[in-house]
Amino acid sequence: MNSSIKIINASVSFKCYENRNLSLKDFFSRNFSGNMLRKDRVFSALNDISLEIKPGERVGLIGRNGAGKSTLLKLVCGIYHPSSGKTAVQGSVASLIELGAGFHQEFTGRENLYLNGAILGMDEKQIRGIEDEVIKFSELESFIDTPIKYYSSGMYMRLAFSMATAVHPDILVLDEVFAAGDIGFVEKARARMYRMVDDANILLMVSHDMDLMKELSSRVIWIDCGKIMEDGNPSDVINRFKKFIE
Amino acid sequence: MNPLLTMVASTIIFGTLFKADIKTFAIYLFAGFIPWNCFNNILIQTSSSLLANEGLMKKIAFPKIIFPVAVSISVLIDSLFSFIALFFLMLMIQPTFSWALFFIPVAFLLIYIFSLGIALTLSVLTVYFRDLQYVITILLQIFFFFTPVVYKIDSLGNGVVAKLMGLNPLNFFIQLMRLPIVDHIFPSLSIIAVTVMLSFSSLLLGIYIFNKSEINIIYRL
Repeated sequence: MNSSIKIINASVSFKCYENRNLSLKDFFSRNFSGNMLRKDRVFSALNDISLEIKPGERVGLIGRNGAGKSTLLKLVCGIYHPSSGKTAVQGSVASLIELGAGFHQEFTGRENLYLNGAILGMDEKQIRGIEDEVIKFSELESFIDTPIKYYSSGMYMRLAFSMATAVHPDILVLDEVFAAGDIGFVEKARARMYRMVDDANILLMVSHDMDLMKELSSRVIWIDCGKIMEDGNPSDVINRFKKFIE
Repeated sequence: MNPLLTMVASTIIFGTLFKADIKTFAIYLFAGFIPWNCFNNILIQTSSSLLANEGLMKKIAFPKIIFPVAVSISVLIDSLFSFIALFFLMLMIQPTFSWALFFIPVAFLLIYIFSLGIALTLSVLTVYFRDLQYVITILLQIFFFFTPVVYKIDSLGNGVVAKLMGLNPLNFFIQLMRLPIVDHIFPSLSIIAVTVMLSFSSLLLGIYIFNKSEINIIYRL
């Protein structure tokens, strides 16, 4: 297992589109009326970040809202590309950034299971291997062949969670720990989550739950305004972060 | 069903209008509608493929070119099916067989490649200009009348209009289908060369534009 994450001087900047959704209509009418389009403001979500995560590390990201935590996760997942600098990620990445991403409303639970598996990079054989286990865990045996648009939100979440946690990637990226359902399911889900975390070679997670952070991570990085403020031992960083907030 | 009804209606109306023999005219129309519909549907459906999957792209990283390619292939398969349905109808009207029919798959492939290239470019542009999808539909409707689908190009005479129409790239692709189906001959090498050139330059341009903007699309979706 040689998974690692290396980020070298990476910046991610967004354009703040002040023209809402540009349409051809606006584009032409404004150009002809001499009323130029407003310039888009550039907002940098991540500012020249360098970071190296070695195999076996459990890294937690903390910071205020809008500090750039999720942007950093998306950078690692490859959803965003840095506008300058470089990222090098080795190993398979599974991102649990949002549950139920890529579920199709018209498909049945089972079809969605296959669709989602394919999106996560599994082949048909692998999906067939986990199919029964996922269905059993989600407690949806009698509804699995019903289109998911008829599911209750709890059923939907259970299926999404069971599917997302059935993969065992080298690098696990988590945005806020989630669990839905009745008390029994939450307990079960927590245990499954921890098992998944144990199996992963590298864990990178974002959470506002400081106790959970202390429990799961071996290294905590505090981000503010797109820059790394502190990086190190979980309890030290968390204490300084708490003081800063106050 | 849809291409079948359009075919029947157009055959009756235009056949009477041009005072053509209904049977031969039906086959002429058929050979024009198939490539046109393929081109038309690929452009319309593929251009919004990135917008339709924006939720997915924001959460999972994978090559975005999958969306336009998947949509366009499904349109191609759809066209193949409507070709088969109309082909049987054609056999009933005029039961002749010719070796030139074996050229049809190649014609489909070239039309597909040509349309995909344009559609890739449009799918990127649609992300930036969301109302482009409606504009495309309207432009295609106008373009339909500038393409010899329901009429013969020589019926336009030798004027400026006919010369302008001669520049329409879709002409060549329709010829690819029409020559084997209507005239039972293989298209000439010059037509094949022109269409191969057109389709591959369209595809290369489309892929170039797509690759160039792939990493930036996500910020605008």
